[in-house]
Amino acid sequence: MIVIAPTSQVTPDQITRLIHGLGLEITVKETCYGAMVEGSHEIVLKAVEEARKLDPDRIFTKVRGFPMGDARRCRAHHGSRPGFTQLEKEWECLSLVEKGVAAARRGEELRELPPKPMLSVKELKKVVEESK
Amino acid sequence: MKVMIVPPNSLILFDLVERYGHEPLSLMGAIGDRVTNPEIESPPLNVTPEDVKAGLKYAGIEVPSGIRGRLAIWGPLVDKAEAAIIMEEAPFEFGCVGCHRTDEMVRYYIRKRKIPFIVVRYPTTEDEAKVMVAKIKEFLEGLK
Repeated sequence: MIVIAPTSQVTPDQITRLIHGLGLEITVKETCYGAMVEGSHEIVLKAVEEARKLDPDRIFTKVRGFPMGDARRCRAHHGSRPGFTQLEKEWECLSLVEKGVAAARRGEELRELPPKPMLSVKELKKVVEESK
Repeated sequence: MKVMIVPPNSLILFDLVERYGHEPLSLMGAIGDRVTNPEIESPPLNVTPEDVKAGLKYAGIEVPSGIRGRLAIWGPLVDKAEAAIIMEEAPFEFGCVGCHRTDEMVRYYIRKRKIPFIVVRYPTTEDEAKVMVAKIKEFLEGLK
């Protein structure tokens, strides 16, 4: 699965066309979040590597459990997508993660951030009072 | 090296592990093996009697079946792992796609195995994301 960060200028169509143009023996499907690629492991890795070159910091990948178009999951067959809410949540976070990937590539020196303060008793009392 | 990711279906962690040259051990991979096996019926009937027995290795009979079922899949991944990355405070640990008790058990097994692991926080700001990626990169490069 190829997922494009929301800040990227690359479109799912561009990725799909690029992979099609490589002429590899794989199946490619354009999706709302990027593309899905299916085939032998080595060829898929090669395709993903090429797709990543379009925008290295903003193109993310992961493996998908169910095959492409599987009737149990595919929306076209009214399949359920229990993992979609998580994918959506992580997709939102990619705009932050890509900044981290770029900073790591540049070798930026970073300081450990202090842990978030715990909820104070005063704040907790306020929440309880408000919920009454 | 084989690196276990927690939450085991995280896109962010899967990508970072692969990006920095290691093999992520993920839930999607384990589920993929199961759902493409013609001997297993379609989900939600994708837990076999063998899985139930496997789950007993990681959780006692008194543990809720949902946790045991999940551990039947996640447990072998922990056994295979040579290192682990744990992301804390991920909002998707809860609700229908997650099970916090299973997460706790997995973290316990990772610690018990004494493999190298790192704990990072789910980022909510740009600075937190930069620190998280830098920590993960340093950890993964140190594994080589």
